[in-house]
Amino acid sequence: MVYTKKNPAPLILGVVFLLIAVTLQMGLQAGLVEYLGIGKKTAEMINTSYVAGIIGVVAGIWYLVGTHREGHLDYYASTVGGVLFILVIAMVIRWYVAPWVAVMSKAMGPVMGDKHLHDVLGLNYVVLGILAGIVVVNVFKIPLWAENGVRMSRLGLKTGVILLGTLYSLAELANLGRLSVVLIGFFVLGSVGLVLWMGRRRNIPNSMGGVLSAGMGVCGVSATVAASPVVNAKSTEIAYTIGTILLWGVGCMFLFPVVGHLFGMGPVQFGAWAGTGILNSAQVAGAALAFQPNGIETLKVAEIFNITRVLFLPIIVLWLAVWYVRREAGAEKVNIGRVVFEKFPMFVIGFILMFALSSTGVFAPKQHYKGKYFDNNIKAEKMLKSDQVATLQAEIGSLQRNDQRDALQRLIDNKKVMSIDDDDTLRGVVNTKLLSKDANGVLKGAHKAVRHTSKKIAAFRDWITLLFAFGLTGLGMQITLASIKQAGGQPLVIGGVVGTAKAVLSLIVILLFVHETI
Amino acid sequence: MQFKNILVASHDTPGARAAERLALTLCEAGGSLHHLYVVPDLWKGMLGDDWLNNAVTQDRFGKYLEGQLGREIDEARQRLQADVEGRGLRYHFEFRVGKPAHCLLEAAGEGSHDIVVIGAPRPKGTEGLRSRMELEILVRGLALPLVIAPAPAQ
Repeated sequence: MVYTKKNPAPLILGVVFLLIAVTLQMGLQAGLVEYLGIGKKTAEMINTSYVAGIIGVVAGIWYLVGTHREGHLDYYASTVGGVLFILVIAMVIRWYVAPWVAVMSKAMGPVMGDKHLHDVLGLNYVVLGILAGIVVVNVFKIPLWAENGVRMSRLGLKTGVILLGTLYSLAELANLGRLSVVLIGFFVLGSVGLVLWMGRRRNIPNSMGGVLSAGMGVCGVSATVAASPVVNAKSTEIAYTIGTILLWGVGCMFLFPVVGHLFGMGPVQFGAWAGTGILNSAQVAGAALAFQPNGIETLKVAEIFNITRVLFLPIIVLWLAVWYVRREAGAEKVNIGRVVFEKFPMFVIGFILMFALSSTGVFAPKQHYKGKYFDNNIKAEKMLKSDQVATLQAEIGSLQRNDQRDALQRLIDNKKVMSIDDDDTLRGVVNTKLLSKDANGVLKGAHKAVRHTSKKIAAFRDWITLLFAFGLTGLGMQITLASIKQAGGQPLVIGGVVGTAKAVLSLIVILLFVHETI
Repeated sequence: MQFKNILVASHDTPGARAAERLALTLCEAGGSLHHLYVVPDLWKGMLGDDWLNNAVTQDRFGKYLEGQLGREIDEARQRLQADVEGRGLRYHFEFRVGKPAHCLLEAAGEGSHDIVVIGAPRPKGTEGLRSRMELEILVRGLALPLVIAPAPAQ
């Protein structure tokens, strides 16, 4: 079968991207940029649009005039149209629609404390992108030329998770890993056990109990897909389960950020809660980015939980396989080695590899944290001037603590911050406003001079944001209302009870025991 | 009143089986019963938004699901075929993937049928897949008489 269709759409999309880039560069969108407040995004808009535009034009010409023959090249070429299709929707929403929604929302004034409607409802580029994807697939349908490319959104998400590996410190990864193993272990095993117990009480078939427990317990649709063949699930049981999970997942993606803001949760608490309480792993990332659209701290926490969940998947599949064989005469015995090998998520290895590379200092000095690092080997013009030294000298006596006085004295003597510890101590002086405004200004400048951001890590952060925006918009295009409508029967009852219990109990546990500092 | 060529849409639910029974009573001796089995297109979206699994697992699931649906189709076909041929009637089978009403309209347009028989919509509260025959689309587009078998008593 030849997949590449002779269709002008990819070429048109390429031209659209080029038009965005050129009109931005020529300043023709200046009024719009100012109205939407997207000045900081223009570099991203121009660069991304040029890259996507050139790819679109080249691929579009190939689609139209190339000779397409069956084979791998044809299949991979056929995905370009769909990738551009997702990208144009995701980026138009990120660059224009979401900022416009924010402008409108701000014009309405605050609705909850100092928060505006779009903050409370999490109406940012991620949520709007997923919604746009859902609308496209259910109202307009995915065009034939884009179908293969839409599946590439999974690759986008996996690549995003792999790149995320560059942003963790060893201590952070270890602490989050421990926390996630405890929470996920308890709630995953608890949910699986509860579904199996309720299933027995309500007399549902073992195959349905098995597939539902995997879906409700581990990572939603992904677990259902992995567990269905193992427990010989019937087609209707699969449909009920996937429908129930999608209904819950999409609902939670919108509800969780609102609840998170209501409880004043921080990135660690919310990321942990979303990663534990939301059934479907794709919606975990969606909820994390909906909660914190302009930073990826919440996503970082949530994805560690997602990775822990997916590492639990082979264990749960094995458990269900053994459980099913014991209960059903004639059930096929499972090959443990094959299950572990096949279900192991290879992208997790990529994530670990990127983390390891980042720790060796390939992308930024070893001691970097989130791409920021200390280096006081600075040029003379960045060092303190004599008037600045005099300002600090005049106020050093007002500091009571010896460590603060010593750090400040070293700064005065050397005209630059001498160590990370000194930098931290002086940041404390600034934050507690012990000195005058002028002196604080000098300290801030001294801090800025020795704190650097790795360009490579900053680029990774931008890529991660774009990859998740792309991936989640594409995933939205795979959520059909026809699937969600299948939610029903016993799975909906059991899923409702277990899903609610998991969300509420994990919220209580996290609010009580998980602190923001990791 | 009996007919020579009957098109019956059935996917083995209680309502569809009522349609099969009615079609058998309406089919004249030596007549032919064309069995249309529609696999609703909702299955296309059933991989949902699974992104964590690798291609091997997704492929295994796809084949498993295809096998399951294939088995269900075979069971329905074999049961009705035995019933039809046991009565000395001719049996034809086809399955299509898509929206039930559209598939039925296409099948009705392609064959030389005298009448179309379908089951009544599933009563509310009854378990089953949410993939209903859209009657308005069907009756607007159908050029043949349509008979709807009453839903069986619960």
